[in-house]
Amino acid sequence: MGGRLSTTAAGPALLATGVAKGYGNLSVIAELDLLVAAGEVVAVLGPSGCGKSTLLRVLAGLERPDRGRVEAGGRPVRGPSPERPMVVQGATLFPWLSLRANLEWGPRSLGDRRSGVIVDELLHATGLNGYADLLPRQLSGGMRQRAAIAQVLANRPPLLLLDEPFGALDAQTRLRMQEWLIGLLAERETATVLVTHDVEEALLLGHRLVRLSHRPAAVLEDVVLDLPSPRGRLTLADPRFVTLKASVLARVLDA
Amino acid sequence: MRDVAVVGPDAGTDLGDELAPSSATSTRQRLSGWQRVAIGAALPIAVVGVWSVLSATGVLSDDLFPSPMELLRTARAFVVAPKRPPVPGVIPFKGAAVMHIRATVGRLGLAYLIAVLVGVPLGMGLGLSRWMSAAVDPVFHAVRSVPITAWLPIALVWFGLGEGTARFLVFIGAVSPIVVATADSTARVPRQLVDTARMLGTRPRELARRVYLPAGLPGIVTGMRLGLTLGLTSGIVGELSGQSSGLGAMMFAAREVSRLDQIIIGMATFALIGLAGDLLLRAASRPLVRWADA
Repeated sequence: MGGRLSTTAAGPALLATGVAKGYGNLSVIAELDLLVAAGEVVAVLGPSGCGKSTLLRVLAGLERPDRGRVEAGGRPVRGPSPERPMVVQGATLFPWLSLRANLEWGPRSLGDRRSGVIVDELLHATGLNGYADLLPRQLSGGMRQRAAIAQVLANRPPLLLLDEPFGALDAQTRLRMQEWLIGLLAERETATVLVTHDVEEALLLGHRLVRLSHRPAAVLEDVVLDLPSPRGRLTLADPRFVTLKASVLARVLDA
Repeated sequence: MRDVAVVGPDAGTDLGDELAPSSATSTRQRLSGWQRVAIGAALPIAVVGVWSVLSATGVLSDDLFPSPMELLRTARAFVVAPKRPPVPGVIPFKGAAVMHIRATVGRLGLAYLIAVLVGVPLGMGLGLSRWMSAAVDPVFHAVRSVPITAWLPIALVWFGLGEGTARFLVFIGAVSPIVVATADSTARVPRQLVDTARMLGTRPRELARRVYLPAGLPGIVTGMRLGLTLGLTSGIVGELSGQSSGLGAMMFAAREVSRLDQIIIGMATFALIGLAGDLLLRAASRPLVRWADA
């Protein structure tokens, strides 16, 4: 394991109990519980503006919940940490640094002397090895988004928080990115909370589906998705996937 | 840099990558270096042409507006050393170009450097801390609206006739645009960049140096450019007040003997110093802010 992140084998990757959050009189999250096992990918599906992003910011430690507890790897979440980084739509690479320097940022900040090796490996895993010296603005949207995910994975976090990471991409690029991410997360056994409003994306990537209500966000259903592995473009044509998608979509539209 | 697309042996093979289009987001058309020089030279050449004609035909009187040829002679005299030794006690003009420019630039340089060293940290503090900006902003903006000429009397009382006054005025003139631009660009650094840095393990006390400073640098450089111009302007005000050398002092002496040609040469030299300083600053900062080019 690279980096100075303590890898805690014990306990779930994430445990949120009774989390509530509001702004003024507006309640955004109401008494929400969420459990993410080590290495598990949980897709959180909810309508636009339901408080998904706020939930993720609370889980990341970027915002404090009004009530409730959030624990990651058995320890309470008190602030942002390289153990549970968040990647949002419209990637946030440092625009003044080359791709390589962007990927090196995490390991260097943690004093990892193998940052060069880690970055070479990530460049390969993201298919960006020819572009290491380019600036972020010279990369396309899909490349930037992959780079942003690779940037936080450089620290080998046990938990990854993704907020609509491929929302800004066109449909074909999005499917390629999804397949890439499925492989990467499986290979690295990174527990993930993926927030999305796209039913197909939730079913394709999630080991579990957590469906949220309209604001204030509360859990409506929590189901295990035991679709055949490995998932990818062929999964989209699988009869079980098609049936599942139709029924979830129906419940989303009725909600 | 922007046109380089180095493609490795297996770079992005199955992910359908295409690099971002290299077309700039700016609506301004790009010009090559020589085009810029040619277009930039057109206006001065036209002005000098019209001016020569007006002087030759007597429309412009030599007493109020010297001809280009006369100014050229004066400029030559300013640069080339005279055969006679200078008169003691009189601010020299002939052959004194290097001396005056050195005096002015020397005064400007040190005071400007101090203004940068004070202004950038102060501006970053104001941009980062709501407490600090709430406490300092009202006083700062009130004080900085005092015109530079209004600082002269108090500077003379504090520092007397001499170097101190000129340097103080340069500092006052240069520091305020640097502070304002730095505070503004620091406050505008996207929240997401800071969040990302923290989630990558950057220590909070390193955020200013590693995120805010590089992200705000394009704006800070703009402030430094404005500060350089204002510092130069303020420096002249200081030099008009009893210096024995410097372009401002030379121009003031020329006014007393009604040498309009010498005054204009002084003005032109100021313009060249300002232009050179700006070009130098832009060239030096270019590698650091190229990423933000439109």
